[in-house]
Amino acid sequence: MNTTRVARWLLLSIMALMLGAGWWAPCPYDRQFRDQIAAPPSQTHLLGTDSVGRDRFSRLLYGGRISLFLVPAAATLSVGIALAIALGAALAGGWRESAATALIDLFLSMPWLFLLLAVRALLPLNAAPWLSVGTTFALLGLLGWPGPARVLLAAAHVQLDTAYVLRARASGCGPLRLAIIHIAPNLAPVAWAQFWTTAPAYLLAEVNLALLGLGIAEPLPSWGSLLRELQSLSSISHQPWILVPLGVLIVTLGCSQVAWKTGDYPT
Amino acid sequence: MTGIPEHNRLGRLGRAVARRVSILLLLVITVTILSAVLVRLAPGFGMDESQLDLRLSNDSVASVRTELESPGTLLGLGNAVARLAHGDWGVSLALHQPVRELFLERSSLSLRTFCTGLFLAWTASFAAAVVLAWLRRPALDVCAALATGAWLCLPAAVIAVLCLYFQLVPGLALSAILIPRIFRYTRNILQAAASKPYVLAARARGVHEPSLMGRHICQPAAPELLALAGISISMAVSAMIPVEALCDSPGIGQLVWQSAAARDLPVLIYLTVLIAVVTCVANLVSDTASTLLSPEAW
Repeated sequence: MNTTRVARWLLLSIMALMLGAGWWAPCPYDRQFRDQIAAPPSQTHLLGTDSVGRDRFSRLLYGGRISLFLVPAAATLSVGIALAIALGAALAGGWRESAATALIDLFLSMPWLFLLLAVRALLPLNAAPWLSVGTTFALLGLLGWPGPARVLLAAAHVQLDTAYVLRARASGCGPLRLAIIHIAPNLAPVAWAQFWTTAPAYLLAEVNLALLGLGIAEPLPSWGSLLRELQSLSSISHQPWILVPLGVLIVTLGCSQVAWKTGDYPT
Repeated sequence: MTGIPEHNRLGRLGRAVARRVSILLLLVITVTILSAVLVRLAPGFGMDESQLDLRLSNDSVASVRTELESPGTLLGLGNAVARLAHGDWGVSLALHQPVRELFLERSSLSLRTFCTGLFLAWTASFAAAVVLAWLRRPALDVCAALATGAWLCLPAAVIAVLCLYFQLVPGLALSAILIPRIFRYTRNILQAAASKPYVLAARARGVHEPSLMGRHICQPAAPELLALAGISISMAVSAMIPVEALCDSPGIGQLVWQSAAARDLPVLIYLTVLIAVVTCVANLVSDTASTLLSPEAW
C-alpha cells in the first residue's frame, strides 16, 4: 500500500469519525459538567474537560464535523465562482477579460488574512452561533476565488486554442454551450487541483480567525475554537492533552496534502 | 547582453514601469472606493452605543442620531477622500485617538518586527535551499519536504502562540511563519535552475561547485527570486496580524486586529488603503527589478 493510499484512507477515516460524531461522542458538545471543570483525561472524558466543564473529546468530534464539512463547501464555492469567472472572461475576451484580470489582480494584491479580517469586521460580530458558522465559511468561499480564477483562466485559454473548440465553433456551437458542454469538463482536473489547494488553506484560515476571536461563536465548537485553549500558556505544560486537537489538525492537513495530487483527478 | 540596442531596451523598461505605476494607482483608487463603499453599506454603520443608553430621553437619542447621520455614500466618500488629501485621517472610534497618530506611534515597532522577520526568514530559507541544491542528496530533499509540509500544517496563529510560550520575540515568530513558505518556493526555483542542461554541462567541464552555484544556478534564478521577494512581503503583512495580536506587540498588525474586533471602520478603511499601497509598491519594485535582471530584457 503506497503513501497516497494510506493518506486517503486516513483522511476518509477521520471524516467518517467526525461525521458520526452523534454516535461516537460520549455527550453533547455543550453539556457542562460543573463538578469536573478542567478535569484530566479519564474513562468518561477521554481528553478531559475544558474550563467550563465540557467534554473535550465530544467537542473535537463535533468541531471536526463543522470544520471538515464546511471547508469543502467553501472551497467548492470558491472554485465554482472561479470557474464561472474564468470561463466567462476567456470566452468574452477584450475589455471584459481585462476587467476580470484586473479584478483578480486587485484581490490578489491584498494580503489574504487582512482581507478576511476587514470584511469579517463589516458584518455583525455578535451573531447567533449558526449564523456565525455560515458567515465565516461563506466569507472564506466568497473571498478565496481569485487564486483559482487566475489558474483556471490560463487553463481556459489553452482549451480555447484547441482543435475541438475550433470545430465546435465552426459547427455553430454558442458560447454558453461551448463553455458548459465542451470546455468546463476539460477544466475539471485543474478545478479539482485548485479545490485541494484551497481546502487546507481554508481550514487554516478558520483556525486563525478563531484564535483571533473572529471565528465561530460559542458554544458551537470548531477546530479553531478548540485551539483557543492554547492561548492560556500555562495550561500547555500542565495539560498537554489540549494539544491533541492540534495533532488531529496537522494529521488531517498532512493527509490532504498527500492524498490527492494535481494529476490525480478521479475518472 | 548585446541583443537589443540600449535606447530600445531602456524605452521598453520605461514603458513597462509606467504601465505598472498606472496599474498601481488604479488599484489604490479602486481599493479606496471599494472599502469606503463597503464600510458605508455595512450593517450598523452610523450607529453608536450611546443610542442604547436607557438614561437618555427620546429627544436626546434623536439628537445623537442627527449628529451621527451619514451624508450618503457618494458624498461621504468624497468627504473621506478630501480629508485624506489634507492629511486628516479621522479619529478611531474604539481608541478615541487620531488615526494618523495611531499609525505613527505603532509603525516603528511594526517595521522593526517586519524587517527582522523577513530578513531572518529569507536568510534561513535561502541558505537551506542553497545547501540542498549544493549537496544533491535525495534523502535530504525528502526530509526537507516532509519537515516543510508538517510546518505548513501549523496555522500562523498557533505558531505565534507557541513562540510566545517559548518567549521568542515577535520578529522570530514572524520568521517562523514565513520560513516554510519561502523555503518551499526557493527550493523549487533553485532545483529547477540546477536541472538546466547548461548546469550539467558546466559540471561535466569541472566548474567548481561555488562558482556553479553562484554564476550558473543562483544568478539565472535571480528574477524569479526577486518576484518571490515581492510576494513574501504580502505574506509577511498577513502574518503580522496574528503575530502582533497574540504576542501583544502594539504595532499595526495589532491595530488591524483591534479595529476588526471593535468594528472600528474608519481605521479599517485607512489600513486597507495603506496595506494595498505597501503590497502594490512591493510588487511593483520586485517586478521591475525582476524585469531588469531577466535575460529577455537584454
